[in-house]
Amino acid sequence: MQIEERGSTHVYRQIKMLTEEQLVQRESRCVHGQPAYCIAACPLKLDVKALLRAVAGGDLDGARKLYDRIAPFPGILSAGCGAPCEAACKLGELGDSVSIRDIERAVTRFGARRRGTMLRMKKKKTVALFGSGRFALFLAGELHKKAYPLTVFCAEADAAAFLNAAADGVPADLREIDLRLLLEMDIRFVFQSALDRAQLDAQRAAYDLVCLSPACYRTLWPDGEADPALLYDPAHGVVAGLDGGVLDAAFAAKRAARTVDRLAQGLDPAGARGAEGAVETHLYTNTDDITRTARVPCDGAYDRDGASSEAKRCIQCECDECIRGCAYLRHYRKSPRVLTREIYNNVGIIMGDHMMNKPINACALCGQCTVTCPNGYDMAEICQLARKNMVATDKMPLAPHEFALLDMLFSNNEAFLCRPQPGFETCRYVFFPGCQAAAVAPGTVRAAYLDLCTRLSGGVGLILGCCGVIADWAGRDALYDQTRALLDRSLARLGDPIIIAGCPTCAKALAAHPGADVVGVWSLLCEIGLPEGTHAPERPLALHDACGARGDAATQAAIRMLAARLGCRIEETEYSGDRSPCCGYGGLAAYANREVAAEMTQSCLARSDAPYLTYCMACRDRFARAGRESRHILELIYGAAADEAPDISQKRDNRRALKRALLRELWQEEQTEMKLDFEVLYTDDARRMMDARMILTEDVAAVLQDMRETGEAIFDGESGLTIARKRIGNTTFWVKFTREGDAVYRVHSAYSHRMNVVRRQS
Amino acid sequence: MEDRTYYSIDPRGKLRCVKCGVSLVKGGARFLYLDNGFPVELPVCPKCGFVYVPEELALGKVLAVEKALEDK
Repeated sequence: MQIEERGSTHVYRQIKMLTEEQLVQRESRCVHGQPAYCIAACPLKLDVKALLRAVAGGDLDGARKLYDRIAPFPGILSAGCGAPCEAACKLGELGDSVSIRDIERAVTRFGARRRGTMLRMKKKKTVALFGSGRFALFLAGELHKKAYPLTVFCAEADAAAFLNAAADGVPADLREIDLRLLLEMDIRFVFQSALDRAQLDAQRAAYDLVCLSPACYRTLWPDGEADPALLYDPAHGVVAGLDGGVLDAAFAAKRAARTVDRLAQGLDPAGARGAEGAVETHLYTNTDDITRTARVPCDGAYDRDGASSEAKRCIQCECDECIRGCAYLRHYRKSPRVLTREIYNNVGIIMGDHMMNKPINACALCGQCTVTCPNGYDMAEICQLARKNMVATDKMPLAPHEFALLDMLFSNNEAFLCRPQPGFETCRYVFFPGCQAAAVAPGTVRAAYLDLCTRLSGGVGLILGCCGVIADWAGRDALYDQTRALLDRSLARLGDPIIIAGCPTCAKALAAHPGADVVGVWSLLCEIGLPEGTHAPERPLALHDACGARGDAATQAAIRMLAARLGCRIEETEYSGDRSPCCGYGGLAAYANREVAAEMTQSCLARSDAPYLTYCMACRDRFARAGRESRHILELIYGAAADEAPDISQKRDNRRALKRALLRELWQEEQTEMKLDFEVLYTDDARRMMDARMILTEDVAAVLQDMRETGEAIFDGESGLTIARKRIGNTTFWVKFTREGDAVYRVHSAYSHRMNVVRRQS
Repeated sequence: MEDRTYYSIDPRGKLRCVKCGVSLVKGGARFLYLDNGFPVELPVCPKCGFVYVPEELALGKVLAVEKALEDK
């Protein structure tokens, strides 16, 4: 049995995985990157989340820096802002929203302003600003920030009066802070200006651009129609402000400054302005675990500690519903949106390193994210599409999946069995326990089959094999189709019986066969009742739902019913039912990326300290291998406990032995057992090492057999070990051993590599 | 084109070919993978040409190069 390795790395083929529209449509379902409600509501685009995070951490200077970015005069803005952020705050749904504006005031009072250290070159275009008030003050600040040489013509007698004209009702200390800022700005003032047509006409020629306060504009052109979005009156060639509250004025000043920028460059002021103002957000934030808290009392103004305590109430809204439940997404620290784009780009690489191959092959394809995501994001679809694409373009390395695929071929060749119940030509039923059940718990498979034969009428056939999902997970359609064809032929031979699936994943895969009638063994046992002599375990068990049964409420309910009838005390965990995570076997993660698969297993086990009850043999096996007691529900029902955790070689031996034993016991067929004419012993280390390195005892035997035939080996005088090798399929296996007798070898170590090595004449 | 050797390992007389009964010597070999080739120097039997790939090399550099090529 061999699977063809991918061809040359120098052949460059490409097929699009998704169209750009399909990609964007998928990405748009992930709201992880959407702005928080408070940020989206702020027309000035203050990063409220970051500001509150800084204040909560006691960093008022950092918070001030963020606030200064959007507010040239933080005192006046924080005093008079209408605070749409507070109205949008998610905590408001539970009770008190965060007192963002009071916190901003504290930030203005206590946060140190960072002075710019760089000397900035003034722009060449000059600006004249006529009038005073909020808009004029804020626009002066914005234009100063943009480094325009600015002259302000105002009626007031000094800068303090100019500021006061915009600071109605602002507490004195905040006003003082803003005055200091104004005085530091490089602005030329012409105080006690007349602000009439004569002055405007006289000054106009000296400046490139002219801006007017709302009052000034109304006086000069009572019928003027400045565009309310651009703040520009093309008829008179002036930028003109709007009346309104503090926030309106600040936002209008920002838009006006953008218009000045466009005009200064000789561009259409309406063009290329980007998204201005408040935006809509599609963020989802789960507040189920949030406890309602009341505002920290303010008593007029927060001190540093008060502001910090209040900022700590912020829950830092974001959507991480999928990431919280999925070890894979946590491992790569990426949202599905980002991961999807990177995978898409990876598939598009024609020549060079494909850095995302590992994440593509590490996903369990379990569909948990689709359930936990408020918009049903389907990461499995993306990874599956990418895998199929890589296979189709010959970019999929065989190494991550070869062991699993060979194991599938083993299940469906050497270990495959299809027989009608003795005494029947065709059957009403066929039991399909699944490859892992035969590999991990052969005794349970036998007991279950004998029970079904006894208690069901019409004959129960047996198929031992793999449903093909392994090929599907590997993205290999051709192999999957071959498997389906084998199973279809086998089912036809048995008279297309009702399939009794022993594994939820097999049940799903088999149900996709045209005309297949599939029932889970759990549902059938609910119907016909438990066999006699079952007894409940004494301790409570944590129930782990199989990812293969996601969306299958009937299976999940049947398992709970069986457990109840057995007398089990079941512990439900946070992620149960449709939200259950994968044990790490799904999607071949366990073969392609052991590290991530181990994190998936640990994530499953972290939910409870109790022994686990599963209904998928892969879950049961992975939990046992991770050192946690676990039982498949069929093991509880049939009282035939499996070995604690068979290694990869034992899993093959179990399947061979089960087939041989059943053939002999039920169909009186003797299968000739391949016997070696030598004996192989293993040190404990070697056996552990082989399991970790995916080397089977049959690989080792093949190497030793070859060595016995060819005599080819080397002796290492330093270690005293003899070393032999054999190329099997796409892999070269090496075995280090000592000879313990004429035909007895003790294996001390085994290793392999995929590269082929040949002699070179130098 | 045998212009460069990517890796060299000397048997230093401790390795012996069981079949030929002679010590392995440093000799030319070539690793081949996914249509890429790398000339190396490894312990080889001067008589039968058996090329020895030590465990550390297989699990170290060889594995790293395999992985790098697989993702090309």
